Amino acid sequence: MAANNAGDLSTAATRQLVGGAVGAIALGLGVALLRRGFTPQTGRETLAGARTHARQKRSPLRVDEPPQVKAARRLNRAAGLLGTSTLLDSAVEHYRGSFQNKAMYTPLIVSALMLAVSAHGTRDKRPIAHGVRDATYLAAALTGIAGTGFHIYNIAKRPGGFSWQNLFYGSPLGAPGAVALSGLLGYYSERLRDNESDKIPKVFGLPAGRALAALSGVGLLATAGEAGLLHFRGAYHNPFMFAPVTVPPLAGALLGETALSRPRRPRRLTRWWLRLTALLGFAGAGFHAYGVQRNMGGWRNWSQNVLNGPPIPAPPSFTGLALAGLAALGLLEEHPDA
Amino acid sequence: MLDEALHSPRGKDGRAPDPLRVGGWMPMRQYGENDEVDFAIVGTGAGGGTLACKLAEAGFSVVGFDAGAWWRPLEEFASDETHQEKLFWTDERICDGDNPLKLGSNNSGKAIGGSTVHFAMVSLRFRPEWLKSRSLLGYGADWPLDWREMWRYYTEVEQALKIAGPVNYPWGPPRPRYPYRAHELNAAALVLAKGCEAMGIPWSETPLATVSAPRGRSPPCVYRGFCVSGCSTNAKQSALITWIPRAVKAGAEIRDLAMAGRIETNDAGYVTGVHYYREGQWRFQRARNVVVAGYAIETPRLLLSSANSQFPDGLANSSGLVGKNLMAQTNQAAWGVMEDEIRWYKGPPSLAVTEHWNYTDTGKDFFGGYAYMSQGPLPRAWVSSLAGNRGLWGDALLRAMEKYNHQAGLKIVGEVLPQERNRVALADEKDRYGLPIARVTYSLCDNDKALVKHALNFMSQSLSVVGARDIWTESDDTCHLNGTARMGDDPRTSVVNADCRSWDIPNLWVCDGSVFPTVGGVNPSLTIQAIACRTADRIRAMAAQGSL
Repeated sequence: MAANNAGDLSTAATRQLVGGAVGAIALGLGVALLRRGFTPQTGRETLAGARTHARQKRSPLRVDEPPQVKAARRLNRAAGLLGTSTLLDSAVEHYRGSFQNKAMYTPLIVSALMLAVSAHGTRDKRPIAHGVRDATYLAAALTGIAGTGFHIYNIAKRPGGFSWQNLFYGSPLGAPGAVALSGLLGYYSERLRDNESDKIPKVFGLPAGRALAALSGVGLLATAGEAGLLHFRGAYHNPFMFAPVTVPPLAGALLGETALSRPRRPRRLTRWWLRLTALLGFAGAGFHAYGVQRNMGGWRNWSQNVLNGPPIPAPPSFTGLALAGLAALGLLEEHPDA
Repeated sequence: MLDEALHSPRGKDGRAPDPLRVGGWMPMRQYGENDEVDFAIVGTGAGGGTLACKLAEAGFSVVGFDAGAWWRPLEEFASDETHQEKLFWTDERICDGDNPLKLGSNNSGKAIGGSTVHFAMVSLRFRPEWLKSRSLLGYGADWPLDWREMWRYYTEVEQALKIAGPVNYPWGPPRPRYPYRAHELNAAALVLAKGCEAMGIPWSETPLATVSAPRGRSPPCVYRGFCVSGCSTNAKQSALITWIPRAVKAGAEIRDLAMAGRIETNDAGYVTGVHYYREGQWRFQRARNVVVAGYAIETPRLLLSSANSQFPDGLANSSGLVGKNLMAQTNQAAWGVMEDEIRWYKGPPSLAVTEHWNYTDTGKDFFGGYAYMSQGPLPRAWVSSLAGNRGLWGDALLRAMEKYNHQAGLKIVGEVLPQERNRVALADEKDRYGLPIARVTYSLCDNDKALVKHALNFMSQSLSVVGARDIWTESDDTCHLNGTARMGDDPRTSVVNADCRSWDIPNLWVCDGSVFPTVGGVNPSLTIQAIACRTADRIRAMAAQGSL
């Protein structure tokens, strides 16, 4: 294949450029979204002072918002984003599976509810947990765990068991884990709110910032693992497919380091790397949209290719987890011992 | 409209069809008939197409000829089994012997790209010992090739075709990872898998030449199921969409609807070019070398019908072996009805394979081996099997067809022994070009029959242990044709040497399945392409040394 000629190579290069362009557009959209609403404000409030000022004007209470509530709301947002990803992804994949088992509706219902309570939580600045949110998040976490069990069972019963064939094409092992993770993040946010503002926030007896950093770090690693498996199935036919198996694992490692090391600030590299990961999540959706185009009939045949092509809603789960990691950093900025 | 390509040649006036675009064209270099090109290659399939590409990329001037049409699959391949017979070689032939061959579908091809346009894409390597089957296993003949060298060329072809195969292949020496991942198994493949597990033998996803992820302008396979009628999406990595476009880009000229009729020789005993029929008249292309790559029937037919006073028995035939040792692999099946819906028409027909009986030498009362694969005949093929081989008709046939979606089956690609009595010769009758028709004589030997019996017995058991009912076996079918111009180390017992160069005429070559001394129990296309790649490398090396 060394003799593959220049014509082919240039076509391939053009394709990758097109893919890059689509990814870049998605990236731009992601940047815009993040800048509008998702950019976590650091303890140092380094970002546009004027904008912060305007917000303070609209919401004078915000100045006094306890850091754990701020972090909790960021977590609501992260859980909501992750929940959106799992809602859309499970909807597409379970529709593809014809909802053969009634239980396949569960992640849709739970993720939709989670989305609603996360929107609620994002607006709620009260420093107390909310019963409905709490219950919904807990239900989501349990659904994710049960779903993982279902998926493991589905793979195990196919001929070949835990073979590559079944890992590639059986029920995806990692997907329900994302539902569980978003539920956990939400549940965690409610626990955060329960802390008193003048104490070092703790959740389940652990320092909240570090524990959250560890949780989102593990989530990033696991999600990268799933992307790695599925991109291996796609034979990494496009070099951009290496992005989700390089950038998020590094973010996960940086968060792990944050959780384990001595208090230190500022963590510029970690913060920027998490932002990059968050953007990559959006870019991934763009790449996947381009991947759909490369199936027979492209977007004209969307009703088949959205199901067959790469899952468009999946990559933004990296964004959700990166936002959770940023929330952890925010907490640590406020309480270095948290 | 869908058969336009059959009526007038498309590869002319400096351009050729681009099979990867609707209505597409690509520029093509053209040679004059008086230009003495480096290589005239007759046939553009797995052998000729691959060689044309590799030689053109090595800088040689190449003209390829094919009797078939130059299709654009995206717009000209119908979801219609009967219509797609336009891809088969259905010219008249005479078949006799104890087991006369049924020619014209799975064992033929008439198109740019040859039979790879409608092959089942199964891309298996030879078991290394087969290349020395006489010395190591006690039957057949030794090849003049070393398996380690072939292993490298297999890798080259697998990369060139982006073969989608399993992460770990259970048989044979280690091989590099297949470039693309295996396809998802359909229910028919799972029947094979469960059967193998119940019988205690390994199975695997079949390495296939259809992409499981995008590749250039090939979208991933959509599991349409018409693979052996021609892939209309270009997921199939046939010679038509891989080697041929590469060849054209590298400066080769390919002439479609060009039927070669005779190879000319000069007084010095060298070939000088090819007579071919195109656009209503006979023409002659001068060439320094001629490569015959017309598959196991047309190759010997062309060599034999090119006989002249200097070579009265045909070209390259001092051994008397041209046309002899024809090997048609056995292709018998066991079929059964499953309780669950199978819908075997979904996806490539042979998604799962077991090569257990290729690699196991004990428990067999015959020489050679066989692989068997899951099956997915389309309705027309299935009804002709039920009517022709099972003898059903009328109401019984109707009722059997109603079970189509529950049907599962296993089919072998079985090794047969080379026998000189199995041969291609020339009949007295002439075809529409005035060329003598091929007479194909074929008989199975006792060893071949013992292999088939073993396979049918094993496959029937393996269907029965997974709950299939109404099991029956189809015992009269053959597939790939090989032999008829075997390669070897000795000019007395072979037609060409390891480099596919004829012993008798140094500038006459044969490069297709004809050169196989034995066939093994795997589909031959990957091996044919690997041999073509090797031949191209050897030609380049010889040219560099001045020994071409």
